[in-house]
Amino acid sequence: MKRLSQLLAVFLFCSQPSYSEEVYGTTNNAAQFGLNWVMTNILPEYAGLEVNGLVYQYTAVKDPETDMIVWVQNEYADGNGYIFRNSDDWSGLPGNTISKSFAFPNLSAELWGPGSIEVDGDGSVEDASVIYSYKYDTCFDPQSDPSCPGYENTLEVPEIPIYDPLQDQLVQDELEKKKLQQEEEDEKQRQRRREQWAINNALEELLGEGDIPELIDPAAEAMALALTSRVLPNNYYNLLFGGEYLETVILEGGDIQDNAKARRSNLAQQLLHQQMVDSQYESSQQETK
Amino acid sequence: MLKVVVPMASAILATEFVQAQTEIVGNVDSKCIIISETPGVYGNPNPYQLTTAPTSGGVQPIIRYDVLAADFYKAVIEHPIDFSSSPNLDDVVTWSGDVEVSEVSDTNMSDYDTNKVEYDNAHEYQMTVAGSTWFKISSTADYGYNKSFPAGQYTAVVEAECIPI
Repeated sequence: MKRLSQLLAVFLFCSQPSYSEEVYGTTNNAAQFGLNWVMTNILPEYAGLEVNGLVYQYTAVKDPETDMIVWVQNEYADGNGYIFRNSDDWSGLPGNTISKSFAFPNLSAELWGPGSIEVDGDGSVEDASVIYSYKYDTCFDPQSDPSCPGYENTLEVPEIPIYDPLQDQLVQDELEKKKLQQEEEDEKQRQRRREQWAINNALEELLGEGDIPELIDPAAEAMALALTSRVLPNNYYNLLFGGEYLETVILEGGDIQDNAKARRSNLAQQLLHQQMVDSQYESSQQETK
Repeated sequence: MLKVVVPMASAILATEFVQAQTEIVGNVDSKCIIISETPGVYGNPNPYQLTTAPTSGGVQPIIRYDVLAADFYKAVIEHPIDFSSSPNLDDVVTWSGDVEVSEVSDTNMSDYDTNKVEYDNAHEYQMTVAGSTWFKISSTADYGYNKSFPAGQYTAVVEAECIPI
């Protein structure tokens, strides 16, 4: 019994009331501001709204002898004909107030295009009133309300904190430190460039001001001249006289013998080199063991 | 002789009268419905006068006839010619009134007023078109020769009938 009551309690807890409701209503007078109107301005914006009726009323003002036809109409929203059109033929009749009502088989609001009252003939329409009746289901879209049948709970996506390393205090400290270091380095470089520029500038001034006797040491000037003269050999700046330098050495006998001494010397050097490499290899092998 | 009697008796039994009755029931709903849409109110613009004229503070009563079959009915509407209840009146009340079509559901009803027949205080309309017709009644009562109406409540009745033809 206790188990049954627990199950019942769980069932009652889990079951939620779900219902949908059909709401009926009527619009304001669509013709209150004129004989032409736009349905989107007249019908409320509810999902799945359907028009199920229309009542119109107007007063025809005319001479009984004249002809007059009044059209009350709504075009299809796509402009392809009329979804509703009714005519009142007042030809040869005295004017009066006419009232008519119509029922529709729940036509979707999306089908209804512009509405109007048109007059063909002599006469006019006064005090026009066009009122639409409609209905809609509050649960046309089940997801619109948790109480609607068919409502499905949406998955709740947990909020995941986004880690931005740039917001980390340690990273920020490190970046700040690097920034300071960079600034110091830049400042040092700027200082060095300034010093270098000052030195260069001073040297240029010194070199440019050659007629200042107190700035010129005769010994240093002599040394500089000597250095300058030695730095570049004469053939760098002396012109070579053109012409052909002819071979002056003449070998007699024709054959040149190999130099055996040189060969031995080369072989001996090669042998020593090989011995040195071998010894290095052997020593490295012993170290690895 | 007995032999004759028996067959006779048998014949009598065989020809015994048997009868039964069964009913045929039919209901006729009126195809003409009268609805009082707007009750009237008398205004009292002058001490000697009660009137339904809107300009005098009155309200004209409106009666709607819903006729489902054309050419089968006539509407007879009588504007009041006496009070159904009022304080004691010791002088003459002069009545006037009118009935007119105020609204139609079909353009062909708009000449009902042209074709109506009036006699006494009655206005008779041939209901030649199926649909709804609204009739507006006006009523005015003048008391004596510019004599003030006694204080109290006054009630008058508009009679509307739908008569098959």
